[in-house]
Amino acid sequence: MLKIESVNKVFNKNTLDSHLSLNNLNLTISEGEFVTIIGGNGAGKSTLFNVISGTLPCDSGTIKLDGQDITYMPEYKRASYIGRIFQDPMKGTAPNLTVGENLIIAYMRSVKKNILKMPSKKEKNYIKDHLAALNLGLEDRINTKIGLLSGGQRQAVTLVMATLVKPKLLLLDEHTASLDPISAESVLKLTDKIVHENNITTLMITHNISSALMLGTRTIMMDSGNIVIDIEGHEREGLSVQDVLQKFNKVKNKEFDDDNVLL
Amino acid sequence: MNLISFIGAIELGLVYSLLAFGTYISFRILNVADLTVDGSFVLGAAVSAVYVVNDKPAAGLVMAIAAGTIAGVVTAVLQTKAGIQPILSGILTMTGLYSVNLMVMDGKANIPLLNRTSIFTYAEAVYDGKAYKIFALLIIIALVFAILNWFFRTQLGLSIRAAGDNEDMCRASSIDTDFIKIVGFALSNGIVALSGALVAQMQQSADVNMGTGMVVISFASIIIGGVIIKNKTITLGLFSVIIGSVIYRFIIALILTTSFPPSYLKLISALVVITALSVPKIKRRRGISKLRKGRV
Repeated sequence: MLKIESVNKVFNKNTLDSHLSLNNLNLTISEGEFVTIIGGNGAGKSTLFNVISGTLPCDSGTIKLDGQDITYMPEYKRASYIGRIFQDPMKGTAPNLTVGENLIIAYMRSVKKNILKMPSKKEKNYIKDHLAALNLGLEDRINTKIGLLSGGQRQAVTLVMATLVKPKLLLLDEHTASLDPISAESVLKLTDKIVHENNITTLMITHNISSALMLGTRTIMMDSGNIVIDIEGHEREGLSVQDVLQKFNKVKNKEFDDDNVLL
Repeated sequence: MNLISFIGAIELGLVYSLLAFGTYISFRILNVADLTVDGSFVLGAAVSAVYVVNDKPAAGLVMAIAAGTIAGVVTAVLQTKAGIQPILSGILTMTGLYSVNLMVMDGKANIPLLNRTSIFTYAEAVYDGKAYKIFALLIIIALVFAILNWFFRTQLGLSIRAAGDNEDMCRASSIDTDFIKIVGFALSNGIVALSGALVAQMQQSADVNMGTGMVVISFASIIIGGVIIKNKTITLGLFSVIIGSVIYRFIIALILTTSFPPSYLKLISALVVITALSVPKIKRRRGISKLRKGRV
């Protein structure tokens, strides 16, 4: 489904601040997989997402989605296959447009053909049904400006927007990090439900190791622009947060053994 | 205020409400103060004047819209493809347009259109009465209003509104925001040029300097309209612009009946906009200082 081959990304190339954010990274994800990504700040998680979604161009390597080479496809074109949700609930919705209008814009990804068309009754109902499935009562607030909703509600709507038209790939960038614990919990549950029901190939960044292990089918840990831990299936089941931290420390120590630390 | 200045104020309010429609698109919907307007307004007037001289007033309006649209595209391309700051892009196009406008007017700073056939001549033939200009303007405004009101509900129109509101979200929804902005600015300046074209035919002259301060005048109309009609949908928003523009002209007409010299008009326009834009902030500061005093 998604195939990332030897992708490199350097920030501030050829300066003293040069920073290797993605270091010859390889990652293959098959259809329907739900991969959770953990790793410290600066590990390259968000850069990976930016490179996949086209916000940043990668320096070298190739990215293929569903067999199609998308390495240098413009961001807005990829967006018709890739749904993305950011940490900031403000980023995913247009505050002065109504809930319904926001959803229609998301829905338009699939029906680009006639740009002078008004949304039809059928499309409006389709959107309403999807909103109702959230069980937040938002279907009655379809004409409310979305800026008036709470962060949790907005993030829930963003989730619907990203999945209204089934994306080939869903990128979740710490999408519950700025929500209160209860909203975060419910948005996570919702995420799991939507991803599961539609069998969407998903990548999710999180700083919460326990939810990284609880959700999804595979967990990878990134460090210094590379994947250092990749666990799935049997090995992943029954793994505790402690185990993961231990694994990480092991990897870290090994690095120190291998490399010349002074260098 | 006598009947003539009353009718005059309504006429001016209506013809300049088209200008305000145009800037409403850039200022309120795309969230950019587009200074191209000062130039594209004159461009419309110049093109229309040249056509009136050749006895084709209606074609003049159409060509003015086309010319304004091109000016809008230039500004938008500077912004999106060349990466020049929005305000500066507008200033650059406006500056360049000064020469273009002179070129259109064949190097003359003024084209008088006295005793020429204009679209208002047609209106006078159809509508019997003093308000024939208002009659013609209302038809044109109703048309533009209906088109815009429809347009901003279509997929393309919705995309323009979203692009002004949250560009990240737009790109994430697979919308080419550069293209969207080009469409938005083209539409905006096309309507501004139409306004200029009508002003030239109504006042029976086009002048290369008639665009000075048009941005501010249109902002004043938008802001006054916004004070009167709040909680805007796109329909109400457009409607408020017409109301604002007419009220603005009444304010000006009232000021003219006092002993203020007309040369103060631009200063007054600027003051109206400054006051309206700064009131929310000043109110908040005063509110906080009141609370602070209350605590001591």
